Amino acid sequence: MLAQLLTFAWNAPSVDYHALAPEIIVAATIVVLIVLDAFTGERSRWASSSVAGIGLLVALIPIATLAYDGVDRVMFGGGFVVDNYALILQALFLVAGYVVILLSTNYIAEGDYHEGEYYTLLLSSILGMMVMASARDLISIFIALELVSIPAYMLAAWRKRDQKSNEAGLKYYLMGVFASAILLYGMSLIFGITGSTLLVVIGAELGSYVSSQPIITLGIAFVLIGFAFKVSAVPFHQWAPDTYEGAPTPVTSFLAVASKAAGFVAILNVLFIGFYGRHDVWEPLMWVLAALSMTVGNLIALRQTNVVRMLAYSGIAQAGYILAPLAVAGATLGTGGEALRSIVVYLLIYAGMNLGAFAVVLAVSRKTRSGDIKSFGGLFSYAPTLTVCMTIFLFSLAGIPPAAGWFAKLSIFSSLTSAGTASGYILAVIVGLNSVIAFGYYGRLIRVMWMDEAPDGDRTPIKVPASLSFALIITVAVTLVWGVFPGALTHFTDQVNLFSLLR
Amino acid sequence: MLALLVAQNIAFYIIAALMVVGALRVVTCKNLMHAALWLVLVLAGAAAQYILLASEFVAITQVLVYLGAIIVLFLFGIMLTRAKTGTDDDLDNKKSAKFIGGGIAVLLLGLMGYSLIDGFKDTEFGNLMVQRTSQVSDSIFSTYLLPFEVLSILLLAALIGAIVLARRD
Repeated sequence: MLAQLLTFAWNAPSVDYHALAPEIIVAATIVVLIVLDAFTGERSRWASSSVAGIGLLVALIPIATLAYDGVDRVMFGGGFVVDNYALILQALFLVAGYVVILLSTNYIAEGDYHEGEYYTLLLSSILGMMVMASARDLISIFIALELVSIPAYMLAAWRKRDQKSNEAGLKYYLMGVFASAILLYGMSLIFGITGSTLLVVIGAELGSYVSSQPIITLGIAFVLIGFAFKVSAVPFHQWAPDTYEGAPTPVTSFLAVASKAAGFVAILNVLFIGFYGRHDVWEPLMWVLAALSMTVGNLIALRQTNVVRMLAYSGIAQAGYILAPLAVAGATLGTGGEALRSIVVYLLIYAGMNLGAFAVVLAVSRKTRSGDIKSFGGLFSYAPTLTVCMTIFLFSLAGIPPAAGWFAKLSIFSSLTSAGTASGYILAVIVGLNSVIAFGYYGRLIRVMWMDEAPDGDRTPIKVPASLSFALIITVAVTLVWGVFPGALTHFTDQVNLFSLLR
Repeated sequence: MLALLVAQNIAFYIIAALMVVGALRVVTCKNLMHAALWLVLVLAGAAAQYILLASEFVAITQVLVYLGAIIVLFLFGIMLTRAKTGTDDDLDNKKSAKFIGGGIAVLLLGLMGYSLIDGFKDTEFGNLMVQRTSQVSDSIFSTYLLPFEVLSILLLAALIGAIVLARRD
């Protein structure tokens, strides 16, 4: 018996270290941060943000070499795939994470909020997103989602002495755990039907069921609803405004951009590989989620008086736009591919413009100590550069050329109309109407900045720290370049495809 | 084979009887601390049943997770919330609550028993369903190597964050 146990054959898995290099570098940076924090004194705390930032930038190098290589790498029996889709999203998460670190540097250092641990958690969350982009089986997707979320719950509560921050963390945590439970239940149903956690196998199994089994519908709906919480789609959005308002503002930008994008990546993975054959189930669900999210998000955003809350509701509406192409994605493989590419384009542009908007909010609140829209009054008279930047970002969010947002909206429209179905056209009209409503509140903030008087007549200029200016330069450059030369973006996103795995 | 099964059956009934006694004591006990400790008996009994079914991995997991973590969490919860640790006569529910709870328990027993009997009928599983620990560990360190490594970073991050949020400064 013992001899039998000792001589069992075990084949070590072949690990492609080149393909895993981005994740390994980020994980190594996390370890370096922990060691650095443990063995250095208070004086060298500033080093953590630099180390974290450099780690993320170094991780971009293997992504570039992998993209240059151009071969799809499939590992762990198909559970982990490094292809163009994964690489472009990993690059997005790394750059977005780097910008968030730039936004955090001064905020966290001046507030004395446990810097070393802050960046450790931030990088852990980013690592989860990178794994999510490559994950192609339910177990990896779930664990990646938890690695994205659990550090984020704690980051939302990072201002420990502030009640609002505590509320933000607790609400986010409770809703997140609730969503995870629903998600897991859906996944267990799917696993029960198909007998596999690999999305490719699930896709083949679910596609082969011709008759509509209620349990399949239930499983798919629960999985998608679990992710809908993460991307704060209506009616699963209640946590978002309170969490965004209470969390430290750099964390809010991280949640609104990177964390949300990770949720969308998870939806894309399961939808296009696992559930694609059952579009009769998820298309109506996505239609309703998209239409509700943009309409409700925009209508409530109109009434907000706090800039961060307004951006939170605008983010809910944007989530609706991003979900919209999925409502028609099942018609043919062609429309599916176009929907996928339009969503990736939107995620990239959304990251640039929304992070930029948060950077301006952070810069302004350094002086005004308030998030009220009125506190932006007269911004042009004492901080013209910030005002111009914010105007670019708001134009982009509203979808007005030359800022990049118009191209994102355009790709959504073209993917909605390419299906040629009535539901696609109706949803396109709803997107159009909502773009008009959205300009109501984006335009109001622009008017306040350019036209109104400064409150209390206080016109002392704002000192923008170097890291924040650098973040603004990156985001403005991205927003303008992609707006004027969309080809610079589509050159990469045209390569994105998830159907190569389907056989 | 038959001789083994007789011994297994006898062991099953002894353990099952102990579990039922333990479960009853959990709900009738007047002392919250003792109730939690009676729960240990129930959960340990479940672990022993898994051993009888030759699924040692599930049994060990049961011991680690339920006995090692969840019961300890219960005990810490009782002690930290300053509930009475001695005998407490108010611990019992109202009569109406007892009936509703009992009704739900009977309903669940009926439903689960029916679905088990209806679902498996006379199927005998033999050795087919047994998953050896070596198989589990093989797949953890080959197919699921990446989720396993990611999970370790997740636990590290959770630990660091929890310490920062919970410590007094």
